[in-house]
Amino acid sequence: MEVLDKLKVLADAAKYDVSCSSSGSNRSNKKGGLGNASPAGICHTWTDDGRCISLLKILMTNYCIYDCIYCVNRSSNDLLRAAFTPDEIVDITINFYKRNYIEGLFLSSAVYKSPNYTMEMIYQVVRKLREVENFNGYIHVKAIPGADQEIVERVGHLVDRMSVNIELPTEESLKLLAPQKTKEKILKPMSLIKNSIIRNLEERKKFRSSPKFVPAGQTTQLIIGATPDSDLKILRLTEGLYKGYNLKRVYYSAFVPVSNSPKLPALKYPPLIRENRLYQADWLLRFYGFEAKELLDEERPDFDLNLDPKCDWALRNIHLFPIEINKADYNMLLRVPGIGVTSARRIIQARKFSSLTFDDLKKLGIVVKRAQYFITCNGKHYGIKSMNDELIRSKIIDKTSLSEGAIQLSMFDNHHSNQIGGLLT
Amino acid sequence: MIYYVYDGTFDGLLTCIYEAFYRRENPDDIVPMDKLEENFLIQKLFINTDTEKSAKVYRTIEEKISVESLKRVFYAYLSELPKSGRNILKYLRLGFKIGRSIDDNLANDVVRTIDKISNKVTREKHLFLGILRFKMLENDILYAALEPEYNIVGLLAPHFSNRMSNENWIIHDVKRNVAAFYNKKEWVIRDFTIEDRLVLHEDEEEYEEMWQAYYKHMAIESRKNLRLKKNNMPMKYWKHLVEI
Ligand code: SF4
Repeated sequence: MEVLDKLKVLADAAKYDVSCSSSGSNRSNKKGGLGNASPAGICHTWTDDGRCISLLKILMTNYCIYDCIYCVNRSSNDLLRAAFTPDEIVDITINFYKRNYIEGLFLSSAVYKSPNYTMEMIYQVVRKLREVENFNGYIHVKAIPGADQEIVERVGHLVDRMSVNIELPTEESLKLLAPQKTKEKILKPMSLIKNSIIRNLEERKKFRSSPKFVPAGQTTQLIIGATPDSDLKILRLTEGLYKGYNLKRVYYSAFVPVSNSPKLPALKYPPLIRENRLYQADWLLRFYGFEAKELLDEERPDFDLNLDPKCDWALRNIHLFPIEINKADYNMLLRVPGIGVTSARRIIQARKFSSLTFDDLKKLGIVVKRAQYFITCNGKHYGIKSMNDELIRSKIIDKTSLSEGAIQLSMFDNHHSNQIGGLLT
Repeated sequence: MIYYVYDGTFDGLLTCIYEAFYRRENPDDIVPMDKLEENFLIQKLFINTDTEKSAKVYRTIEEKISVESLKRVFYAYLSELPKSGRNILKYLRLGFKIGRSIDDNLANDVVRTIDKISNKVTREKHLFLGILRFKMLENDILYAALEPEYNIVGLLAPHFSNRMSNENWIIHDVKRNVAAFYNKKEWVIRDFTIEDRLVLHEDEEEYEEMWQAYYKHMAIESRKNLRLKKNNMPMKYWKHLVEI
């Protein structure tokens, strides 16, 4: 098969992995070398679905010994198969990079022959890129569950980021859809990476020169809507992963139907709005000081598709509002619908000079249409007179509703943290 | 109405600032020579660039206000937007009065204007770090053409001189006819136009074709959302992209 054709097949097979971020690493170039990493990450283009392309995201191969029902590459699927040689991947990466098409490589793979064999192939690629080509751009690789610790560690010393995809949030779902995988098998490499990162940080405190281990941290992905698992289950898992495994990001991927197995739900479209709600909630956990249990509980285990999680929270806690914009502290400002991280900071800065009026808020970029119901400016309330949550809910939903706008927001990557912060208003 | 007119360089602009303070004048605008429009009612005052004066202003901004503030002034200058000369002068007057906290004062119109402009320039620069496309020429030089809204070639050059330190490259603003040249050691900016057709490296087409195929295959059909794509990457920037 021609390299061009392999590229088509193995890009197709990789595209459902939503992570494409190139952030979090500050690897610098070496003498005579090519490339460096930009801590904020850089997008190089956007596809027709509006997602950013930052890395060359491909599978090493889509030949797989496993048969996960939700996956296009499952062994029972009748599919065109291909496999790159390490040299082919190295050549494409270097030449794409020089033309500034990409920030680096995101190499994943189906499980070919055995987890160790696959991981060893991945190692061949990254070793050649780093040591032969002197390539210092961003590299993200998948750790293949079941591969030996020794190989995973060897790879970890060469790459910027590693990830293990959990995909299914509960053991029952795994049993149903990915019977050859188990929770243990997935979590083992995750804790291994976590522990190696911690150990490495300590080593580097003593010996500045010891090589970094996965400096941009690890991430994972969860599939949304392939199983009946609730948002609450997913969000609790997310919270646990951030706290217990120090994950940098959890990605959510609305399930795109790839087979008509009776074990899978009959979906016409991927559940994009739900996916978007989870991203918003994830953002609230990481940057807004929320906890999963504040956003959902057993009685209400799923997000309202009509309203973003922050607004929904505010309406259920309407007794805390309105707050005075000239007095409230940063953490409380952050909890006001219509005020994001940037605007909260701007309010704190600007009110040092003079007390802020409603007009000032508009100028500072606060979404006053949304915020007006929850705030006062110098004691004056600009929304409706009432603090009745049902009434406010109806006003707000009128304006957002399940419009295209909601779907618009649904895919993004973490390069545009400010932008996303803004979306959450 | 008095306009100060300068040669278009940043030093020229800072010299104008110097003169405005020194002469205790308040020009209605400060404009580069090539942007000057004939207007009967405007009194034009040509200010000769003086690097000693501009260096003084430069240092004073750093010391009395902040390095960040100097950067904002520079970005506003690069924006080439109408009235930016006047806005810069107003901003600096205020800055010399209140010092380093000026940029927090976002309820103030001038501060916010400069903040907005410099953010726009920053955003465009960041976008081009990604969407700039090099072509490998026959002689192994990497060549990129771009038509940015703002004059950002000089902001892109440091990034690529770190990243592609072992290559020869040219980043060419074909709208303004200036380019950054890098020779594996250092970069310079010069006026530049190309008369002849560029001769591409024999492999160039092959990689472009691969990139186009990759780009097409990355999109997920059932998530198609062209509006989001255009929001992220406005169509005015598509012209020099290889993949579209
Ligand atoms: S192991 Fe990975 S590639 Fe193979 S079928 Fe399962 S999810 Fe797909």
